Amino acid sequence: MNAPATWLDERRAEAANRFAALGVPHRRIEDWKYSDLKTAIGDAVNDAVGMWTVGDVENGPPLDVDYSYFDMNASPDNLPEWVRVNLGVLPQNAMSSASFASARACIAIRVPRGKAVAHPVPLRVEGGGTGRVLVVLEEGASLTLQETIKAVGLVNAGVEIVIGANAQLTHIRNAPQTDAVQVEEYSIRVARDGVYRAHLFNGGAKLSRAEFQIALAGANAQAHLSGVSVLGDGAHADVTTHITHAVAHTTSTQLFKHVAGGKSRAVYQGRITVEQGADKSDSRQTAKALLMGVRAEADLKPELEICADDVKCAHGAAVGDLDPNSLFYLRARGIPEAEARNMLVRAFLEEAVNEITDETIRETIWREVEKALPRAMLP
Amino acid sequence: MTVGERKAIRLAMLEIKDLHVAVDGKEILKGLTLSIAAGQVHAIMGPNGSGKSTLSYVLAGRAGYDITSGSIAYNGEDLAALKPEERAAKGVFLAMQYPVEIPGVTTLTFLKTALNAQRRARGEKEVDAMTVLKTVRKRAAALKVSEEMLKRALNVGFSGGEKKRLEILQMSLFEPKLAILDETDSGLDIDALKLVAEGVNTLRSPERAMLVITHYQRLLDYIVPDRIHVLAKGRIVAEGGKELAHELEAKGYEHIVGKAA
Repeated sequence: MNAPATWLDERRAEAANRFAALGVPHRRIEDWKYSDLKTAIGDAVNDAVGMWTVGDVENGPPLDVDYSYFDMNASPDNLPEWVRVNLGVLPQNAMSSASFASARACIAIRVPRGKAVAHPVPLRVEGGGTGRVLVVLEEGASLTLQETIKAVGLVNAGVEIVIGANAQLTHIRNAPQTDAVQVEEYSIRVARDGVYRAHLFNGGAKLSRAEFQIALAGANAQAHLSGVSVLGDGAHADVTTHITHAVAHTTSTQLFKHVAGGKSRAVYQGRITVEQGADKSDSRQTAKALLMGVRAEADLKPELEICADDVKCAHGAAVGDLDPNSLFYLRARGIPEAEARNMLVRAFLEEAVNEITDETIRETIWREVEKALPRAMLP
Repeated sequence: MTVGERKAIRLAMLEIKDLHVAVDGKEILKGLTLSIAAGQVHAIMGPNGSGKSTLSYVLAGRAGYDITSGSIAYNGEDLAALKPEERAAKGVFLAMQYPVEIPGVTTLTFLKTALNAQRRARGEKEVDAMTVLKTVRKRAAALKVSEEMLKRALNVGFSGGEKKRLEILQMSLFEPKLAILDETDSGLDIDALKLVAEGVNTLRSPERAMLVITHYQRLLDYIVPDRIHVLAKGRIVAEGGKELAHELEAKGYEHIVGKAA
């Protein structure tokens, strides 16, 4: 006789059905037009477990958050209540459904009500494989999550982030250059007065897709996203966001800057949905790309769907080369061409990197930018 | 030969001979000849479209300005063979008509980077940030360039007058041998004009040559040139002393240009 299906089995069975219906996305699906995953990996999704860790490798998981690392194929009876309430509940796209259905490793982190975690908590995704991450911030909690990705082969990660009322999460996502295929979906829900901040660095991959599904679900909920992609050779980096202003008085800002050299490809797709009744919502999105050569490509696609009347939505996108007037001005003052180009590219990226308020983290990201720039500056 | 005579026949710092320059295949300068010695201030006056800005850009080495014939010798060297940054390091400075706004680069960082790039190219020791700051401060005060301006991104949000004052501040910091001022008076009210002219006059020196390019005589009331050349249709059509500016102002360009034709 079969054991009765658990809550987790049920949720995962639904995810398996979703993935079976949708399949591995390919370029004929509008949302994946610039990132043909099927060509990159075929139909293969696996349940291999990568080396995913939270906290210090030496010192183990941080003591100042609740932490659970478990095998999703094992009995979920011992899992804490907050995992049962939240795991696999937020919306999932095709690949996130696949990871939820097939992953074994799941990392779950909770910051309890009212607690402010003083130091950034590292989240490391190393190696290849499929995995799940759940982050729960209860009412009034705050956390900085510093994610670093060193992908090998294929990584498919599904990350759920639940931000409670008046809670604040700052999410750093550092993805240096790799030859892997890395696909991540972040599904995020922000309750009233909650704030989600994300700061991204992309060095590019064979195919890299970071998708953010964000629901601003309570009054005064905010999402602030910024990021830079610094790509050379044949690197690819796709940042796709979908922010839903579900209720009135919600705010979102996005600022993305890309530098693409070689025959690399930088993608930004940003959809904003302002639902009916979400009046006094304020959304701003800016995406800019600098192409360093004729073979590089940038696809920037901001989109607005507005179903409310009284809203402020601003968006802009621009692709270009370094401004020849600026370049001449600097050279005419004695600054050699290569140095002048460097100054202008750094100045271009700086606005987005400076969104990171923590000085130590900002410097870490600048070092990644510096490492990636020489390749990205080549035509 | 006396010492005085030797001085009189010394080589000009800038020697432009029969210069033809085309932009996008269209000839703008059509045989311009001009010579300026160290210590002199020359003015180029001319109506719109006469080729004034083309002359300033070709001297600074801007891409897209093609010398089709003729020559530019700077201290005996072929200027056209040098990159813009090499010209700057060798002492050529162009105060631009439209200084460029560069977000993300603070003014002071830019000044330090440029100064040290020039020094490096000349084989001189680089100067540290503190020394640059002190030097800049000293010169900035006279030009009413505030500390706050120096901290802002280069030219971003600066008024027309502030941009021009910053150009002159750079000239004072870089201490060029040949300074070209392209319509430095444009967009300035009379107080700003006086301030800028004063800054320029302070920099007049026996080792330095200046070429002041302007549409109007007004600037030349404050920066009094040793010699005035009138540029029209890509050629020098008239030359004279400082009084020529007033003749132009009274009678208009048509009068002089027409007489020369």
